Amino acid sequence: MGMSNSTAPLIEIRGLTFYRGDRAIFDNVDLDVARGKVTVIMGPSGTGKTTLLRLIGGQLRPDAGTICIDGQEVTTLSRRALYQLRKRMGMLFQSGALLTDITVHENVAFPLREHTKLSESMIRNLVLMKLEAVGLRGARDLMPSELSGGMARRVAMARAIALDPMMIMYDEPFTGQDPISMGVLVSLIRKLNDAMGLTSIVVSHDVAEATAIADHIYLISDGKVVEHGSPEQLKQSASPWVAQFLNGEPDGPVPFHFAAGNYLDDLLTEKRDVK
Amino acid sequence: MLNKVQQLGRSTISSLERLGRGHLFFLQLLTALPTVLLRFPLLTQQLFSIGVLSFLIIFVSGLFVGMVLGLQGYNTLIDFGAEESLGVMVALSLVRELGPVVTALLFAGRAGSALTAEIGLMKATEQLSGMEMMAVDPIKRIVAPRFWAGVISMPLLAAIFSAIGVIGGYIVGVGLLGIDAGAFWSQMQPRVDLGEDILNGVIKSIVFGVVVSWIAVYEGYDATPTSEGVSRATTRTVVHSALAVLGLDFMLTALMFGE
Ligand SMILES: Nc1ncnc2c1ncn2[C@@H]1O[C@H](COP(=O)(O)OP(=O)(O)OP(=O)(O)O)[C@@H](O)[C@H]1O
Ligand SMILES: [Mg+2]
Repeated sequence: MGMSNSTAPLIEIRGLTFYRGDRAIFDNVDLDVARGKVTVIMGPSGTGKTTLLRLIGGQLRPDAGTICIDGQEVTTLSRRALYQLRKRMGMLFQSGALLTDITVHENVAFPLREHTKLSESMIRNLVLMKLEAVGLRGARDLMPSELSGGMARRVAMARAIALDPMMIMYDEPFTGQDPISMGVLVSLIRKLNDAMGLTSIVVSHDVAEATAIADHIYLISDGKVVEHGSPEQLKQSASPWVAQFLNGEPDGPVPFHFAAGNYLDDLLTEKRDVK
Repeated sequence: MLNKVQQLGRSTISSLERLGRGHLFFLQLLTALPTVLLRFPLLTQQLFSIGVLSFLIIFVSGLFVGMVLGLQGYNTLIDFGAEESLGVMVALSLVRELGPVVTALLFAGRAGSALTAEIGLMKATEQLSGMEMMAVDPIKRIVAPRFWAGVISMPLLAAIFSAIGVIGGYIVGVGLLGIDAGAFWSQMQPRVDLGEDILNGVIKSIVFGVVVSWIAVYEGYDATPTSEGVSRATTRTVVHSALAVLGLDFMLTALMFGE
């Protein structure tokens, strides 16, 4: 990390456009992720939050626009350079994505074994340190199928920080958690971010948790950034859309329905897929 | 009407696309060979679960097929007073045809379907995506070792099948039906040719090994990432492998033995 760019955003997204078929998931989106901060991306289900993380990780290529990570343009990187960059990014999938045929210990050791030539005892110590950081050192010999959903996510976190990355992306870390493990995850994300000097991106639609850990929040919907700012700024936003989302009202400017044709026409038409 | 034409066109294009992707995928598997050899433990692990664990079914099937050949062959040959040639008949049928073909069919059912299901489930549970994000290429780390283990196992299993089958024929012919053991072996020895018969059989089994393993890993890797998608991919592996093996067997036989 050079001194000169230590205040520049770690990730700069400009004019991002991405289509699935004819549908624009992102339409000319600009977004910054500040270094060392926790940035939360919020939005209704199906707006493309997971898609955004995959675009940042280079698993999907945008139709237009640039994604610049620590000075490198992801969209034009060679495969080799992209893999090099990914070693410095951790990602937590919605499902945890642990390897199901090996133990917790081996899961956390996996990136170390793949990318380093450390001795067996070094790997063991590192794995124990990472597991200790997420409070699961005692679970090291369990198989992933023996973990609860919350524990699996914490193991995935330990794995994501195994190579000491510069940033980590969390896809919906809070869904399906009881209030206690939700609280554990919230404080863990914050703690890891600050203690390891990480930059974190958290995708979520749990308003309370997200506002509790966010330094900066982006609200996206219908392929656009609707609003962004610190949690306080958003709470004071005049936009009815933001108010609806943050207060969880079922209908309002945000439609409840996936885009569809006229309901009555649909009911009256005999065959479904006549175009 | 126009809709039908459109649909036909669309499905033709998408299946051609799939075929194209399959071939590119095949190239990736071939170029991953050095990586696979460098990470030998990954390969041996797969050789165990694909090859060694298929051994029992191959052993038992080979024995029964050989015994049936012994019985049927004896009944036919005795009409011509040629029952001493039973050994030759059993050995040639096995080495040229039944060894490679039946082994490939069993292999598709035992190992191929398991490969597809395993890789497909890893995809459905985002384990492959997760690996990519950890900067580990899932084709090199997961798919290629399984493919190459299949390619290596298949000819060995076919050889075992044929050898056991000959013993099965011996048990029935010599043990049960009372053919002279000396005639059984001594007629077989000069009439089963190393180049003409055995080598051609080995070539067949290698071709089948490549094709079945390729179909199995590709179906898994390309499966729709849902439980239904994986189950359909598994079925496709078995059906497509069987058709490919039988079709290729005809072509290879025509090329090799069809003057
Ligand atoms: N593989 C795919 N093929 C086609 N369309 C897809 C695919 N994956 C996602 N989509 C579409 O892209 C849109 C965005 O999906 P995405 O998974 O990014 O949403 P999300 O914001 O993460 O939703 P959630 O909060 O429910 O996880 C969805 O509406 C979906 O219809
Ligand atoms: Mg999502």
